[in-house]
Amino acid sequence: MTRQDFITRLRQGLVGLPAQAQSDIVADYETHFTEGAAAGRSEADVAAALGDPDRLARELRAEAGLKRWESQRNPEAAAAAVFAVLGLGAIDILVLLPILITVVSVLCAFGIVALVGFVGGAVVLAAGPFAHGPGGIGAALLTGLAMMAGGVSLASVVTLISTGLVNALVWYGRLHYRLLKPAIDPQPTGELAAP
Amino acid sequence: MPESIDIQLKKGALDLCVLALLSRGDSYAYEIASRLSEAIGMGEGTIYPLMRRMQADGLVETYLVESSAGPSRKYYRLTSAGHASFVAQKEAWRSFAGAMQSILGEP
Repeated sequence: MTRQDFITRLRQGLVGLPAQAQSDIVADYETHFTEGAAAGRSEADVAAALGDPDRLARELRAEAGLKRWESQRNPEAAAAAVFAVLGLGAIDILVLLPILITVVSVLCAFGIVALVGFVGGAVVLAAGPFAHGPGGIGAALLTGLAMMAGGVSLASVVTLISTGLVNALVWYGRLHYRLLKPAIDPQPTGELAAP
Repeated sequence: MPESIDIQLKKGALDLCVLALLSRGDSYAYEIASRLSEAIGMGEGTIYPLMRRMQADGLVETYLVESSAGPSRKYYRLTSAGHASFVAQKEAWRSFAGAMQSILGEP
């Protein structure tokens, strides 16, 4: 592979990252080729030592997506993290996919039940006292409140499980790095450095 | 695919290697990469993500040096946090290596 091929493929693979990060990364590898040439090495030799640019770009992008999920826990970042892991294209992730879809569907169903319970509870709370049901106004108010509370607790359980699921997926995705791995593994002795 | 113990050891020691090199003097990525690939057989491409992470963690900082021939070089130097990390990791390594030697029964 020539220097031009390597940089082109790296650049294509990095699309989607912040522009500053893209140009920093490309500049680093450009410099590496220049230094290699100055040391008398061929472009093919340097490219081979650097590894597959497509793979490298995929892992850099995946890592950016996973970092974002770790810094901001919202549904958008969660979706980005899931796609980043799927983008690594490991075969066992495809095997995992049907299971994942099932779990997500079940979670969605529970989420809808929680929403219906909350809204239904609100309706009962507001309209119940005027409906003259059995047990009178007190029973209607309590039933409404109980349904709303049930909806809220179910929703929080669903949120907790979803967060845990995405975290597990992030951990799983990082197991599939091949080129990046030594660079992003946490330092085993990092805590010692803290004063 | 289980990794050989050789590769696992190198991965664990890579950070410490970079810190040690930089503690002897500022350097640029190509030089660090070629020293390490020569010494422990590390893949050259690994150095850039590693340096980016160490910079994000505040262990190293960069400055540009104009070169008479070719483009300006990005040099890395240790920050005070990087120095502290190096001292702590070196100490941890020494005590671990000592313990391993006595377990393995080497003189």
